[in-house]
Amino acid sequence: MEFGEESSPSLAFEKDAFELTVEDVYDISYVIGRDLLKVSRTGDEVSDLQFRIVRVLEMFETLVNKYNLSVEELRMERDNLKTELDRLVQERSSGQGTQTAGPNQLVVDLTDPNRPRFTMQELKEVLQERNQLKAQLLVAQEELQLYKSGILPQAEPAMVEVDLDTPAATEHIPPTINNAKEEKTTISKLFSFRRK
Amino acid sequence: MAKKTYDLLFKLLLIGDSGVGKTCVLFRFSDDAFNTTFISTIGIDFKIKTVELQGKKIKLQIWDTAGQERFHTITTSYYRGAMGIMLVYDITNAKSFENISKWLRNIDEHANEDVERMLLGNKCDMEDKRVVPKAKGEQIAREHGIRFFETSAKANVSIEKAFLTLAEDILRKTPVKEPNSENVDISSGGGVTGWKSKCCS
Repeated sequence: MEFGEESSPSLAFEKDAFELTVEDVYDISYVIGRDLLKVSRTGDEVSDLQFRIVRVLEMFETLVNKYNLSVEELRMERDNLKTELDRLVQERSSGQGTQTAGPNQLVVDLTDPNRPRFTMQELKEVLQERNQLKAQLLVAQEELQLYKSGILPQAEPAMVEVDLDTPAATEHIPPTINNAKEEKTTISKLFSFRRK
Repeated sequence: MAKKTYDLLFKLLLIGDSGVGKTCVLFRFSDDAFNTTFISTIGIDFKIKTVELQGKKIKLQIWDTAGQERFHTITTSYYRGAMGIMLVYDITNAKSFENISKWLRNIDEHANEDVERMLLGNKCDMEDKRVVPKAKGEQIAREHGIRFFETSAKANVSIEKAFLTLAEDILRKTPVKEPNSENVDISSGGGVTGWKSKCCS
């Protein structure tokens, strides 16, 4: 790297830490490297120190780079949100018929992360599926009990349909009042079943 | 699929205003436990409990509905299959008592004509906060010709009695026959002991 004036790379030392760019880190490295050369003494101690300084500078480079990227990302996101907001404000002020909510209409804030998003039909289907799976789990638990207690000597094809891993997946469901206890025992049952 | 471990399957439904304790009533009956944290039921949930009445193993599939109006369309679609409906109000909440007529109208509109109904005045352990006298509950139940219990899921008062009475009332008018195969759509199987007694004795 060639610089016209010697003073320009060392200017990087004067900068505010949050203003630093990767180029500044290179300038700093250049200056430190040059100064290190001036320390003409040889020996393990100096060369160890040199390696450590290089390592620290590399870390510094990574951090500055990462920081600048994050700032850039945030800036882009801010600009996007600004554009979106402008668009919404314009939409509203342009007074389109859809914007004036009637007595039975609800104005939804599109920037609210908790805004209603799913239809009643979708909820209904999800609940149906949940309840169906719950019913299947109950059946599987009962059958497991039968196996464990040795009442059922041999597996019938229809009964092994239930994937043994399925009940374990319920662990991820936030435990509600009524099934937290059940789940734990289901899992422990499964494990003791597998060990057999 | 699985062997039937019960003789009859009864489908019950819990309805009533939000927060009267429907889920707690059911939790007390199915798990004999009580939890004070209030988690509003989302749409519809269910529990299974097998009981024995008059020498018959009866599997109770009890549907627990959300009391909130916004789930109305989901919950009412479950009225049709119910053989027994428990209408719950909260003796410390006058509004939940006033809404009884609204819930009864829902039953008329959406449930089978011959559904067994029952009225429960829940939270009877909270005597100091009571706003609905027991006599008023008894009166409205009498007017509609339905049974009435004051219950407490917390103190475990009359919960089991209420469910067993409702099941008995349904059993009384059930013709003696084997469980319908169309009923086992999501609830086949049953208790271990039932299966054992059928196959090993």
